[in-house]
Amino acid sequence: MIGALRRRGVLGINRRNADYTLAWNQRRLYPLVDDKLTTKRLCQQAGIPVPKLLAVAQTHLESRRLLDKLEGVPAFVLKPARGAMGNGILVLDQRDGKLWRGTRPYSREDFEYHAAGIISGLYSLAGHSDAAMVEEKLETHPALAPLRNDGVPDIRVIVYRGVPVMCMMRMPTRLSDSRANLHQGAVGIGIDLVSGRAVHAMLRGHRVENSPDTGVPILGLVLPEFDVILRTAVAATDQTGLGYVGADVVLDARLGPVILELNARPGLAIQLANQAGLLPRLDAVDARLGPKGAPPVELTLEERIELGRSIAARLSR
Amino acid sequence: MHRNVFLAGALLVAIGLALFSVKTLQYGIPVAPTENLGPWQVELRISARGDGARGSVRALLPSTEGGQVIFDERSSSDRLQFSIRERGGNRVGVWTGWLQDVHEVVYQFRVQSHAVSTPLPSQGPFPDPPRALRSVWGQPSPGIPSDAPQVKELLESLRLPTAADQPARIRTIYSFVSHEIATVRSASSDALLTLARREGNGEGKERLLVTLLRAAGIPARLAHGLGLREGTAPDELLWAEAWVAEVWVPMSAVHDFFETTPDDYIVLGRSNVPVVEATGVSAIGHRFQSLREHLRPDEIANLLAPDNRLFAWLSLYRLPVTWQAVLRVLLLVPLGALVVALFRNLVGITTYGTFMPVLIGLALRGFPLHLGLALVAVVIAIGYFARFSLERLRLLMVPRLSIMLCFVVLAVTLFALTGQDTGMSSLFAGALLPIVILTMLIERVYITTSEEGTREALLRAFWSVLVASAIHPIFRSTHAEYLMFSFPELVIVVMGLLVWIGGYMGYRVVDLIRFRELAGGEIPGGSAR
Repeated sequence: MIGALRRRGVLGINRRNADYTLAWNQRRLYPLVDDKLTTKRLCQQAGIPVPKLLAVAQTHLESRRLLDKLEGVPAFVLKPARGAMGNGILVLDQRDGKLWRGTRPYSREDFEYHAAGIISGLYSLAGHSDAAMVEEKLETHPALAPLRNDGVPDIRVIVYRGVPVMCMMRMPTRLSDSRANLHQGAVGIGIDLVSGRAVHAMLRGHRVENSPDTGVPILGLVLPEFDVILRTAVAATDQTGLGYVGADVVLDARLGPVILELNARPGLAIQLANQAGLLPRLDAVDARLGPKGAPPVELTLEERIELGRSIAARLSR
Repeated sequence: MHRNVFLAGALLVAIGLALFSVKTLQYGIPVAPTENLGPWQVELRISARGDGARGSVRALLPSTEGGQVIFDERSSSDRLQFSIRERGGNRVGVWTGWLQDVHEVVYQFRVQSHAVSTPLPSQGPFPDPPRALRSVWGQPSPGIPSDAPQVKELLESLRLPTAADQPARIRTIYSFVSHEIATVRSASSDALLTLARREGNGEGKERLLVTLLRAAGIPARLAHGLGLREGTAPDELLWAEAWVAEVWVPMSAVHDFFETTPDDYIVLGRSNVPVVEATGVSAIGHRFQSLREHLRPDEIANLLAPDNRLFAWLSLYRLPVTWQAVLRVLLLVPLGALVVALFRNLVGITTYGTFMPVLIGLALRGFPLHLGLALVAVVIAIGYFARFSLERLRLLMVPRLSIMLCFVVLAVTLFALTGQDTGMSSLFAGALLPIVILTMLIERVYITTSEEGTREALLRAFWSVLVASAIHPIFRSTHAEYLMFSFPELVIVVMGLLVWIGGYMGYRVVDLIRFRELAGGEIPGGSAR
């Protein structure tokens, strides 16, 4: 079994930590991606689209005034700037001056308490104090909307040394409580880098073909604007200086592809969704760009995307 | 694994093992405890505060006699003059000098002890005690009012056997004090009050026993001693000795022994005065500590002073007992960390907090595993419930956590109270503080439950328990404790192993399970290798 995984080039946690995240992601750069506010600012400076920031609260006092700033906003998302794994995210609608979470009313006190919890560091990595941020709520692109009941699917692109090497879409389900976390029951959909076509779909370690919520077939779906999705993902990671990043892109109905967040320790489940190991692709990138420390091979963004696609095409044949 | 990593690990393992083998092969230090019931190491620590006056501190010191052999005596005198004197058949350590501020003097010894039986002679005639003996141990003395009228009255009511049959008299008196006088911790230590109320504390009963014996014409005295116990401080004890036909027969109406002192009881001396006393001081306190060794005395000598100056200097056996006790535990921690690293990096399981299982293992060191886990489970359940109730109040995080901490402290206090009643109090001593760490554990359990679901929370709890259960026996193992304490260089070996684990680039067990689908098409374990 170990031999089989090795032959398919499956990347394990130990190796990812040592040879990729530790080797290519400098610790001092982590804050750029661990803090969503910083990531957002970086992207905005580079002209990369991101969801609009509506309000921020750094202190408990500010958290009481958050709702005042949100008057008249029909839907928004409250989240911790330094949260992990989608924890602490609250999606709310606002009608007639009242808050709604789905179909149920949500009190202003609950909102303030949740924001205070975020600021205290309840959801942040290592429990440091955090900022509560409110973003506009994204709307799922009509091409993807039929696949799910609720929640916003996101598209994860692994970018290694500026080259996109693997891509998957995470589709929230009722099982995952509308969250795009695979271990909670979201569907992981492997996306072919060349065509943007859904080639595999996994739900909790089992293959599926149709959406568990709506029954709409998943396989064969082609992501709209896939070229832009890849460009957005790679351009965003270029801003960080990190060498091994997972870029999370959401295909919004109005804005098109926007950067939701970047991750310096991207998970390995993407290999399951794609039914392919990461190692051969990472090795192929190293072969083209040379070993670490050697004079860098300068490639344009287009050339790097082309490189990633040709590697994927060659290896998945 | 990268070559440099392998070499670094190998270097550390080699250094550690080299030191280890030199000590075992050349100096013959055994690699495992050889003697389950080895000698005890005992330490007496006295703190005395003085106002600049001249004074002295005196303590009863044990001697080699009967079933006990005293060796390796050491003392530190902290600006005072130390001498050992002979007083009334006892060895007395005397520290004299100008007492200014706090002086902390320490006296240490090792003792090999075994129970000795001194039966009452069964057949007479029983010689009368010599006059000299009678004048010391047969007369009324302070605290032993054997001439009091109540005492005479009582003896008459007991209808003692004839004066010639001393053993029978002793049995009658012993049985009276043992059965008719209640032991009440808060009661008096005075012999006459104890007699009048028919209840006394330990000292009161033993004093009464000695008083009655003397009044019945049998020389008797109080013996001070220690009851040594593993894992906790020794008990300071008092018992009686009666003279019959040239022998002193030990007996205690409190600790329920007669003719034979129990195992691990040692004698400090016979005296009417306390074990530690002082003149010219404004305050004084003392405390005994003990540790059981698991080696023969000659092996201890080897460990204490191998004929190599470096190794002798490095020997932890020359440290004060209290430090040794701490280091014995501390040196086990790297083993716990090794287990955690194995589980996390080779197996790949997630626990609550990286070193939480080690801390729990430490906290529960004094308990059998099932009891310890039950304790943790109950504390967490109480805490979880409290956390659940607090959620409604919407408190900010730090005060809320502090309230949780108070809850845990209260819960542990409650346990201590019930532990006292069920006789488990001694087990508690070391566990109190680390248990407070459980506060953070409760918070993590709560957040995991609400964020990732009960299933994930329970799963993680299961893994944490699993790792803690793997660590716990190591922390309780006498063998492991002996090994790490006698060969602290093994920590370097552990470091080497950790370097190797840290350099392991292969799959974790969870990787294999997670990606088994990707190994599909090939028979697992078949052609795969």
